[in-house]
Amino acid sequence: MARFLAQASGAATVEITGLVPLRGGAVQENWAVDARFSGGALAGEQRLVLRTAAPTGVPASLGRLEEFAVLKAAFAAGVTVPEPLWASDDPEIMGKPFFTMQRVEGTAAAHRITRDPALAPTLPAIAERLGRELARIHTIRPPRTDLAFLAPYEKAQPAHQIAGFRAYLDSHPTPRPVLEWGIRWLETHIPPPTDPVLCHHDFRTGNYMLDGAALTGILDWEFSGWGDPHEDIGWFCSKGWRFARLDREAGGIADRAPFYQGYESESARPVDPRRVLFWEVLASARWAVIALQQSDRYMIGGERNLDLALTGRRATECELEILMLLDSGGVASSA
Amino acid sequence: MRDLPTGPALLALARDVLLNELLPLLPPTAHLQARLVANSMAIAEREALSGAAPAPGILHALKEFYDEGGEGGEGLMRRFARDLRIGTFEGSELRERHAREILWGLTIAKLRNANPRFLNANGFS
Repeated sequence: MARFLAQASGAATVEITGLVPLRGGAVQENWAVDARFSGGALAGEQRLVLRTAAPTGVPASLGRLEEFAVLKAAFAAGVTVPEPLWASDDPEIMGKPFFTMQRVEGTAAAHRITRDPALAPTLPAIAERLGRELARIHTIRPPRTDLAFLAPYEKAQPAHQIAGFRAYLDSHPTPRPVLEWGIRWLETHIPPPTDPVLCHHDFRTGNYMLDGAALTGILDWEFSGWGDPHEDIGWFCSKGWRFARLDREAGGIADRAPFYQGYESESARPVDPRRVLFWEVLASARWAVIALQQSDRYMIGGERNLDLALTGRRATECELEILMLLDSGGVASSA
Repeated sequence: MRDLPTGPALLALARDVLLNELLPLLPPTAHLQARLVANSMAIAEREALSGAAPAPGILHALKEFYDEGGEGGEGLMRRFARDLRIGTFEGSELRERHAREILWGLTIAKLRNANPRFLNANGFS
């Protein structure tokens, strides 16, 4: 790794002075790398992150070199991200593909961000800023030769996602009637297609870093792809990502208004609440399927990880949200 | 007949020991794992108390819904899921509403085991 960093940066030598695994990132492994560069583009002490794949992953995830290309595109578009540095798939270095980026300060710990009373007064402004950041991500549009590996927009369209959910449920040992009902609603309420943009596809609290009240980086681009811009908005607002504050509908940090305002003023496009509702229902269905897939990594893949094993239980939380979004009047007769 | 204390009682006691006696002795880096262990024990305790089926009342409701006595719970649930996928009940408001009531009941019963705190936070006692 030291030789790779030296060669990539033009340094005479690189000494790795620290290497610590970072928490978070259920799908990828992240390592904090401290390194001393002798000369070259990054001469001096550097604090980097090395990102590579965990032993098992989820099928929708991009490869590391592809994620690196998306990160570079976002950086060039002015999105606040850790500066991407170098990537390699040379098996001699780590045995698997990886990329490196600058390490940004702060925390992404969602429970802390949504609970911290000291942070609370600043959260509406952070939501507004996140709306602007998302709009900047959505300025990246196809066709892009540097992102030619991304699946065509047709594959991100609801009908394709719905088919994917059903294919997964067909392979799952336990029937999920609530998910089936919610997916049927999605199938019969698909909004008209729109001009596709680059969607982060996991833009949510827990995937951005805050250093105090300062946003220092949007993280985890492994699910990025072309899609409807409202998909990212619905995902950010869906209940699965509100953590300690279910009442704050924009990512557990604020009302929707400042988030939408930030998005609208940066993009000059209105947010359509009906489209957001559709994508929010789809977000709950998607999160339910991901939760079950995470659990499969233990149940089927044999990855000994209690967090993953427990995540499967969260699918029922998503199902409750689907019922609350689509049948709020029906609860009284059933509770 | 099993010896006492019961499995669920042992799990409750073990969880209490873990959270109140062992957790303070663990390094902060191990706290999240310890809490996940405690959470797993709480789920296991609730499921042991409620029995194997998450909601016997729901299976009864499904048998009534289909007017079937013979088919097992898993088979009926599978049939219900399949029917919901293809919109079988959408032609009848009454059947559709009845189906939704079963969905609500099933979800609430499952969350009572898996995450009662989430249920409470969403306004369900």
